[in-house]
Amino acid sequence: METVYIDKHTDLVTECRNGSRKAQFEIYKLYATAMYNVALRIVNDDAEAEDVLQEAFLDAFNRIADFRQETTFGLWLKQIVINRSINYLRKRKMETVSVDEVDVADEQETDFEETHLKVEAIKSAMAELPDGYRVVLSLYLFEGYDHEEIAHILKITENTSRTQYMRAKRKLNSLLATKGVVR
Amino acid sequence: MNNKLEGFVRDNKKQFEVKGPSDALWGKIAAELDKKQPKQKTFGLYQWMSIAAMLILTVGVYFGYQYKKSATEILVADINPGLGKKEVRFTNLIEEKRDSLQVLANADPELYKQFIADMGKLDKDYQELKQQLQTSPNKALVGKAMMKNLEIQLQMISQQLYIINQVNQYKKEEKTI
Repeated sequence: METVYIDKHTDLVTECRNGSRKAQFEIYKLYATAMYNVALRIVNDDAEAEDVLQEAFLDAFNRIADFRQETTFGLWLKQIVINRSINYLRKRKMETVSVDEVDVADEQETDFEETHLKVEAIKSAMAELPDGYRVVLSLYLFEGYDHEEIAHILKITENTSRTQYMRAKRKLNSLLATKGVVR
Repeated sequence: MNNKLEGFVRDNKKQFEVKGPSDALWGKIAAELDKKQPKQKTFGLYQWMSIAAMLILTVGVYFGYQYKKSATEILVADINPGLGKKEVRFTNLIEEKRDSLQVLANADPELYKQFIADMGKLDKDYQELKQQLQTSPNKALVGKAMMKNLEIQLQMISQQLYIINQVNQYKKEEKTI
């Protein structure tokens, strides 16, 4: 099943290379939701996430000749989305938060009964995080990059990435606690 | 707690990504793609066209300029065909004699240098007259002056030839004695 899926993608990518609009739409349908969420988690704004998505897809389709199939198309596209999202943030002047600003609550054991509620709580808590925290957290937690890769993407040191992540997670947890999602 | 969050996100990632972009987005992207494709093609064509236009323009300007130049340059032959023929004959003769002078003067480079300097002065005058011919109101007069100049050049070079011949002769005799 898995191999069939991958084959279908390479075919689609090849068709995209030849400029097939239908194949482009197929690719879009396959990746739009996931990529939209990648962008949304970073820029934290619906309209901007859509702008990022539009630019990223256009960029990907126009530069598809550069895609050498060293990685999967999805990973390649994700890199474009992340880079564009970060550019948007940079335009808004991304601030990395110093320790003093952060009010760290005591870690509380929270027990969520309903997954859905917890998902929503995490999403809204992430939206409240400062940009710098949210980006590192989202890249590590959701996109599965390690700190070395994050350091490369954000042009920070690996150590900064690590500490930013730790602080971000603490802040997120404290936000979740103050929200008192447990009900 | 720490690993709980990571585990939770890993296990429920799909649930985080329920909401997608608006349906209108693909329309926007497709429209941009449509816009971009013919634009790129016409841009390439446009570029080629502009290169071709530039080439034609440069070539045109160059030849136009050349044509204008040759059209505006007044030759002695334009004023008086007889003088024109004379000019050709004189310059040819001068050229010939100059060559033979050079061959003969190999033996005496010092003398040749002097000759050439004198000839150079006259030739400079000739070029100046040629310039004057373009603007002068009395073209016939300038034309005649040019002929006179050429005549003097010819006479001078003939004399120089004669002198150098004599010098060579003298040297030869000196050797044989």
